[in-house]
Amino acid sequence: PPPLFYLLLVPVTLPTMTDLSALLTDLTGRVDSGDVEGGKATLANLKIALLDADPTSDTTAQIATSALELGVLLSAADGDLDAFARNVSQLKPHYASASATAAASSRKNHIIGLNLMHLLVDNRLSEFHSELELLSTAEASSPEISFPIHLERQLMVGSYDEVLAAGSRVPHASYGLFMDHLLTTVRDNIADCLEVAYKTMTMDDAVRMMKFGSVAELQSYMEECRDDWIVEDGNRLCFAPPPTGRKADDIPSKKLISNTLTYAAELERIV
Amino acid sequence: NFCRSATMAAKKDETSKEEATASDTSTPKSTEESKSVVTVPPLIAAGKRLERLLGGKKTAATSSGGAAAGATATATAQPHGLPGTGSAATLTSTVEAVLHSNPPKIVRRWLGTSSGAARDATLDDVVGAAGALLDPAGVAARGRDVLLALAPDAGISSDGAAAAAASGAMEVDGEEKKDGEEGGGEGPTRPVYLVAAAREVEAYLLSLAIRLLLAADDAHAVQKAWAVSGAALDILRGHMDAAARATARAGAAGALGGDSASAGGARGGLGSKGLEPLLARLYRYRCLVTEKCVVDTEALRSELVAAHRLACLRRDVDTQSTVLNLLLRELLAADQVEQANKLLSNSTFPDSASNNQLCRYLYYSGRIQALRLEYTSAFSNLSQCLRKSPTNTGLGFRIATQRLLVVVQLLMGEIPERTVFLTEGMRTELNPYMKITQAVRRGDLAVFHDTVSAFADRFKEDGTYTLISRLAHSVVKAGLRRLNTSYSRISLPDVANRLGLPSVESAEFVVTKAVRDGVIDATIDRAGQYVQSHDLVDVYATTEPAEAFHRRIAYCLTMHNDAVRGMRYPPDAYKKQLEASRGIVPKDDEDKTDEELAQELEDEMDEEY
Repeated sequence: PPPLFYLLLVPVTLPTMTDLSALLTDLTGRVDSGDVEGGKATLANLKIALLDADPTSDTTAQIATSALELGVLLSAADGDLDAFARNVSQLKPHYASASATAAASSRKNHIIGLNLMHLLVDNRLSEFHSELELLSTAEASSPEISFPIHLERQLMVGSYDEVLAAGSRVPHASYGLFMDHLLTTVRDNIADCLEVAYKTMTMDDAVRMMKFGSVAELQSYMEECRDDWIVEDGNRLCFAPPPTGRKADDIPSKKLISNTLTYAAELERIV
Repeated sequence: NFCRSATMAAKKDETSKEEATASDTSTPKSTEESKSVVTVPPLIAAGKRLERLLGGKKTAATSSGGAAAGATATATAQPHGLPGTGSAATLTSTVEAVLHSNPPKIVRRWLGTSSGAARDATLDDVVGAAGALLDPAGVAARGRDVLLALAPDAGISSDGAAAAAASGAMEVDGEEKKDGEEGGGEGPTRPVYLVAAAREVEAYLLSLAIRLLLAADDAHAVQKAWAVSGAALDILRGHMDAAARATARAGAAGALGGDSASAGGARGGLGSKGLEPLLARLYRYRCLVTEKCVVDTEALRSELVAAHRLACLRRDVDTQSTVLNLLLRELLAADQVEQANKLLSNSTFPDSASNNQLCRYLYYSGRIQALRLEYTSAFSNLSQCLRKSPTNTGLGFRIATQRLLVVVQLLMGEIPERTVFLTEGMRTELNPYMKITQAVRRGDLAVFHDTVSAFADRFKEDGTYTLISRLAHSVVKAGLRRLNTSYSRISLPDVANRLGLPSVESAEFVVTKAVRDGVIDATIDRAGQYVQSHDLVDVYATTEPAEAFHRRIAYCLTMHNDAVRGMRYPPDAYKKQLEASRGIVPKDDEDKTDEELAQELEDEMDEEY
């Protein structure tokens, strides 16, 4: 159709700084007001504009950094973890180069904290710790970042009640997304522990320990994931006892035989 | 006879001049006067020694090379001593020599033996040696200029360099008395330049200069060092590129020993191998200088990556291992653990690298793995590193490895032995770590946190702070284990108290997690609010002992096999025994062919290296 054809003929003009800044302020406004859809559209426009901008100037770098940060916040608010991960990985080189010029933006700690939460929830602990290495002491003591660090420590030690209680003291609302995910992971962990540590338990206690709202929730959870928990007397949970007793199958005979044969062969070689 | 002179040269034994009658195969330098006893600066002596080594081998080679080589050998009986002349014929035999010998090994060995000279050298010595040994018109010209440019610092002018050269032309090392055959056409005023060893000595002197400038420890000197190291790397890279091109040409040109033009080209090609250890050294100094200068490290990183690629292509084991270690060190210094890990997984460490480089590699891999929570592999790497590291030097390195090893052991849940902290020379350094170990053993979180904060600065300096902050978990584990073994039944509030946990609820959760992880074997009774430990299972009734034994046996057997494979016997040892048993009296070893003797020499050098 003719209109599109004319569109192709129109020469592309490079976006000026003012264009970029205008888009940026627009994006900031949308993010602050919580307009996710509009924010995403503006972000897409801004990214395309940035592609044509001069890559070496400092202002471009700053605008790019701010844009990506806002993108991260948007995806966190949106619940889109893939976009979140993408934006963060695009943002990292900017931080790495900006650290040389010491032009740290104010949102940097926030973004890093969110990234740490993301890694924690995904259980990518080695990357979590590698990220920690890159932080300076000042950054590590800021509230946004110390929150995930403490969280990780508590998870390792096993004080799950503190973890679950921490949901109330998030430094920023955007952490809420990750806290929800974390809650499910923690619940699974607690259930595993309960299985092994207790012989029996009342339903109420179980509800309290796993921080469910009511017995009904517990029961639906059990139906979903924990088939082997037996309910006795309507109130006591009985975890399946661990298998005991030795049988002939328990002896790893093949392994023992192969080991002994290896020893014999090697010893024969000794002159 | 030829072989004996080769032995003499190779072992650097100075013998009387009667033995040195292998005159027709002498090197250009053998015009040294026999009478003068002027002592020569050790650097110059070292340079001439390398020349002899690289050219001296040709005596063995030519005798074993057969007729063709013999012809060229007699050709070299001709003029020598005059710099630059007779080089064509000399070069041909040098080519032969280089073909049969192993230049990197020779150079490495020479570096080791010259370290004495290097230790006492000053910048003046270096510049003097440069003036004396390097031909201003030869291949080493650029290096010579760079070094002489340092002269204003050192306070010698180029005239002075010539004077030093003059004295250098005279006798080397008092005892050596090679006879001045053919009349020794040189007068004492004409400097003798190195031919075969020119580029190696140039690189060596450059590296010495950089080291001395670094040691000077003032900003201006450091800047100079940086400039010199950049220039040195350029020069060496130029040599090696030219050599690579020449090899290609020589390969196309066909048989060796043909006309001297192609032989000259071939010499260039084969000579580059000897530069490898020096290239590795220069890269190391460059990194040291860059760290001191705090210059842009990104550029350094890309330079190192390119160097690594080249080294892999050229099968240059020294440079490959050194540059890999330098890259890892650089990335770790910048805290880029993920990138370092990727480098580690994508590259291979050459097996034939030197032991010191292997130790460094193990240390860096251990550190990266520890930071990434791979504690078992970190532990094995670090303990291997500690075992392989030299015991008479490098105390600092061993202390660093030991520190890291202790922390990794703690993170794995094991308590290191007390004797580890009390080894000679490490006691004060490891003191904070001993306190931490004691805190972990006690299992009290509060005490642990106090100790950590007390020594926090020390740990941050050592780079182990992040690792130690992960130890909270180990403290709890250790504490729980102790409680479990000492109490058959203990109430939950008591557990919370002992472990320094904030509340009873958290104590309950902690215990459940520990049970799930297999740290303790217990059950919790919620109603009674106590933890009941199960009776200790008899470990010997399980397969645990068999597995533990199997691990140890496998290790011993591997060691035994490696040792058998690594055994070396003196050549023909069995023959003596055999002949003695058969009643044959061994003859004089004249029946040994020259090839065998040359091979024996090579094996000996191999061993000693």
